[in-house]
Amino acid sequence: MKKSFFVTAGILGIAAAVCFLLQQFVSTDTHVPLIFVMAVLCISGFTEGYLWGVGASIVAVFAVNYAFTYPYFRLNFTLTGYPLTFIVMLTVSISVSTLTTRIKKQEQIRIEIEREKTRSNLLRALSHDIRTPLTSIIGDSSVLLEQNADLREEEKTMLLSDIRQEAEWLNRMVENLLSVTRIDGDGGAIKRTDELLEEVIGSAVSRFEKNHGDVKISIDIPDKPLLISVDPILIEQVLLNLMDNCVYHGEGLTEIRISVKVLEKEIEVGVFDDGCGFPEEVLPHLFDGTLPFLKTDRHARSGMRIGLSVCRSIVRAHGGILFAENRKTGGAGVIFTIPLSEYGN
Amino acid sequence: MEIKDRILIVEDDKSIVNLLVTVLKANHYEVYSASRASEAKSIVSSQCPDVVLLDLGLPDADGMSVIEYVRSYSQMPIIVLSARGHEQDKVRALDLGADDYMVKPFSAPELLARIRTALRHYKPAGTPSVVSDEVTLLNGRLVVSYKKHRVFVEGTDVKLTQNEYRIVALLARFSGRVLTYDYILKEIWGPHMKDDNKILRVNMANIRRKIEKNPARPEFIFTEAGVGYRMTE
Repeated sequence: MKKSFFVTAGILGIAAAVCFLLQQFVSTDTHVPLIFVMAVLCISGFTEGYLWGVGASIVAVFAVNYAFTYPYFRLNFTLTGYPLTFIVMLTVSISVSTLTTRIKKQEQIRIEIEREKTRSNLLRALSHDIRTPLTSIIGDSSVLLEQNADLREEEKTMLLSDIRQEAEWLNRMVENLLSVTRIDGDGGAIKRTDELLEEVIGSAVSRFEKNHGDVKISIDIPDKPLLISVDPILIEQVLLNLMDNCVYHGEGLTEIRISVKVLEKEIEVGVFDDGCGFPEEVLPHLFDGTLPFLKTDRHARSGMRIGLSVCRSIVRAHGGILFAENRKTGGAGVIFTIPLSEYGN
Repeated sequence: MEIKDRILIVEDDKSIVNLLVTVLKANHYEVYSASRASEAKSIVSSQCPDVVLLDLGLPDADGMSVIEYVRSYSQMPIIVLSARGHEQDKVRALDLGADDYMVKPFSAPELLARIRTALRHYKPAGTPSVVSDEVTLLNGRLVVSYKKHRVFVEGTDVKLTQNEYRIVALLARFSGRVLTYDYILKEIWGPHMKDDNKILRVNMANIRRKIEKNPARPEFIFTEAGVGYRMTE
């Protein structure tokens, strides 16, 4: 509101200044209405809604009449031809400002539609992904309830552990979605604090080990304490997703390695495994949303895709970059950067 | 007759109540349950349970009000059940006097371990407060000697500075429990140190380099992201 007022006043002021200046050198005043029409056009372009543009055009009509047409510094609508000039100018100004406003509105609608489309695509992918584990949870548990007597002990154990596995998968999915709301919430800015890198990595690893105690993890970080400016919950989620991906997609995995390189103003964190690596045909499409479903994938769901794109959004929100590669020695690697804290490193 | 510890479950979701009741009864606890804050308060004052498991989202009032009510007259252990991502809630609950929190979804063994920790730390009113001379953790691999003001890892004095020692001593006194950043800051540096978590981070980094083999794979002091620190039991 305040901003729109200053924009309007500023542009009208500039237009008036230009006219005064031209008055010194040019004897006619036919350019004056044109300059003010241009000013109104600019005002409509830079302000919200119709009101500022229409207001500016009315002000302009009076200003032109008052200051720049003979008799100078007097309002006079009675001169031959002038009423027509002013009516034309008012009409032009009003239509210009309505037009620009309409264009802006249409642009906004287009963005809104675009956003709605991505949202519904995400929702469709999600509901598909969520229904699969739910089907197996509902199926397994109803078999257990209704045919309990006919089942052997090991069959029961199998069904129960399937239920647990699927539920854990759902939980990971939900945590990723929560991370997304954490980035989008509160005006889009993440809440940063100064955190120790070793603590963020340490807590991610100990959370990971709760579920995958059998996977060997080696951590290679500089001995010097490093302060990073991050939302620790989100970075923990990135590390957790990357480690989970290693387990769920890295066939033949024996070890996960987390290593850290210190650059000038940021650090580079890499999560590497020694599994089968990304299939070559997938690598270029990991983030562009066209990742084909792979028949060979044990977990033929977009879990990896969602996990990775959440990681990427989190890293981006921190002002870093994230990319994936296959290691020369075999296995997959995902590397991301995060800024170091401004002070104290 | 067997004397059982009594646990009050404050939770409005029926299936979670079912789960908790089943697990706790199978592990020989006596169980009460309440689905509303008002009901919880009346059970707390009439039955005086040994542990309260508290969900923060209750239909009639904020779960925080239950913590305040209990803490107004009793130190009985309160374990908050919360969802991940709500760090502010956890910190608030802990600062109001909750003893611990569990993130949903949790496993039964995890829950039972937390309840045992809470019971061990609880000293009912009237018990003389015995301050022991030292705390020994992980089969004696870490010893905090309050008498000598020293910390030993595998028998060797790790030579902590004054503040480092005070932090470790504080965490060791409440081992197994999470202490919030704010709480530690105030205990060590006084009430005016609020919001400067950098000084705490730097001290922790130094402590870790003296007592842990690998700072990113701690064995003694764990970080709860966004909440605080917890020393192992």
